[in-house]
Amino acid sequence: MRKVLITGIASPLGRQLARRLAAGWEVCGVDTRSWPGRPRELAMHVADLRKREFEEVMRAERPHAVVHLGVRREMRRSDARNRHDLNVRGSKRLFDHCAAFGVKQLVVVSTGTAYGAAPENPLYMSEDEPLSASRSYPEIRDRVEVDALASAFVWRVPEVRTAVLRPVHVLGPHSTGMLADYLRRLRPPIVLGYDPLIQVMHEDDWAESIALSLTREIAGVFNVTGPGQVPLRTAIAEMHRLPLALPEFVMRPWIRTSFAAGLLPWPEGAIDYLKFPVTISGERFAEETGWKPLFGLRETFAAHRERRSQP
Amino acid sequence: MSEAERERGSAIARLVDTLTRRLPDSVRELDALVSERLARVPTRLNEYGVDRFGLEPSHAHRGLLPSAVLYRHYFRVVTKGIEQVPEGRVLLIANHAGQLPFDAAMLGVAMLLEAEPPRLARGLGEYWIPQLPFVSEIVTRGGGLVGTPENFRALIDAEECVMVFPEGVRGMNKTFRERYRLQRFGTGFVRLALETSTPIVPVGIVGSEEQQPGLWDVKPLARLLGMPAFPITPTFPLLGPLGLLPLPVKYRIHFGAPIRFEGSASEDDAAIQARVATVKIAIDKLLEAGRRERKNPFM
Repeated sequence: MRKVLITGIASPLGRQLARRLAAGWEVCGVDTRSWPGRPRELAMHVADLRKREFEEVMRAERPHAVVHLGVRREMRRSDARNRHDLNVRGSKRLFDHCAAFGVKQLVVVSTGTAYGAAPENPLYMSEDEPLSASRSYPEIRDRVEVDALASAFVWRVPEVRTAVLRPVHVLGPHSTGMLADYLRRLRPPIVLGYDPLIQVMHEDDWAESIALSLTREIAGVFNVTGPGQVPLRTAIAEMHRLPLALPEFVMRPWIRTSFAAGLLPWPEGAIDYLKFPVTISGERFAEETGWKPLFGLRETFAAHRERRSQP
Repeated sequence: MSEAERERGSAIARLVDTLTRRLPDSVRELDALVSERLARVPTRLNEYGVDRFGLEPSHAHRGLLPSAVLYRHYFRVVTKGIEQVPEGRVLLIANHAGQLPFDAAMLGVAMLLEAEPPRLARGLGEYWIPQLPFVSEIVTRGGGLVGTPENFRALIDAEECVMVFPEGVRGMNKTFRERYRLQRFGTGFVRLALETSTPIVPVGIVGSEEQQPGLWDVKPLARLLGMPAFPITPTFPLLGPLGLLPLPVKYRIHFGAPIRFEGSASEDDAAIQARVATVKIAIDKLLEAGRRERKNPFM
């Protein structure tokens, strides 16, 4: 069996992916956190991607393929600098190691939100649209830079077949992320007078799309979409929640001060995602791999309503 | 969601129900008609009743009812030649006037109520439209999009009916002195029509040009407020928001015969301009015919 190394393996979705890939691969992983109670056959290393210790892991494991999930997503004002360094420099190091240690395949999991929410966005953007999220949302700049580094790596080092995936919002019992956490709030705040379309996919479909990228050995940049789109308010209703509708002039200062005080996980720039659509077209990925999501919209929301603690 | 909140949710639904029952019969009939016609609009909805472009008929119907009431009882719209709009992909090109885009709303309602089968005229708007609260929501749920070439191609590929006002704000915010004088047309629509072999139906809208006589457009004030224009009309800003109400002019919407251009989208500007002029002349003729039919703007 070929060996795959997953970065960020101890994250809730990383664990799900490890279980999915275990069916056809020998799985190992790194993370800055440990994963107590992980399956016995799974080798896991606690290491920082930027440090020598990670190089040692790569040298010892010599994986055939690498899946890069190891970016920190949660936002706190206090550690913006550290997060940027961890995500951008950590990813750069990882890509260099992939080239140096003869890794054959690399899958970098970026995000569809990197395109940015803006009023002039066409619906269903292709991979050729610019990633302009950081224009009004500086805190997400590290994610955009990681995507750019990875996209350049696709062409710079063709010996490593690299796929950069930009999935839509991932929902499900284990998922965490901007929309996943937002929808779990008791009263998700919405901006009065706006109701953008959002796209979602089930976490099992997300894991499946990564597995598919590995088996089909695709290279390039790909949007990955799920079963479809709904208005934001429909998604909130599907979570059996009532939205808290605030006019923008109330919302902005509230989010700004709450974020600064550490009471809310999103900075002001995230408000645009409650106003304007970021919808992407997954045509290229579907053509290249024959991708079809298994879970429909209703099943995806139903799955997200269950919250499971980590095994 | 707690019990109390669930109650409150249904209380709002009950209130809406009660209010709907209190409406005059004519409005209730119109409401039923709008719902029935919307259900027949050729588009594919997903399991949440939303189409690919964000149209949600159950929601759009709420936004469309006020427009339909204006259509029947306020502007008393009459249409002519709507049967000439071909099936499948089509581009409606109309004049634009009247400070607020009631003309777009009336053209949309006309396509819904008078065309057979009912069509949803998809608006392609300017970038500032999705930035306005409420307007953004109504436009999105009504299937309107921002006017990017990508959105246009996607709508045409889906065999939709798209309405475009090539004068844009130049037309909408012109002053009363310039009524029925078509402003400079953008040329993008002709290139896109050529590229996608889409028939163009010229539309002349008579009435909107007098609904809110603009006396003056205070450009510096508009820039200051970040708006596309700041019109002074006999009632606005004198009467405040009330002054935004249009006059009860009578609308006449005349549809022309479809124009099918042949050629390539990459021809030079002169060749494209010639085709734009053809459309402009067709609209001018429709406007003239419409104006000949009436005694004054209100009848």
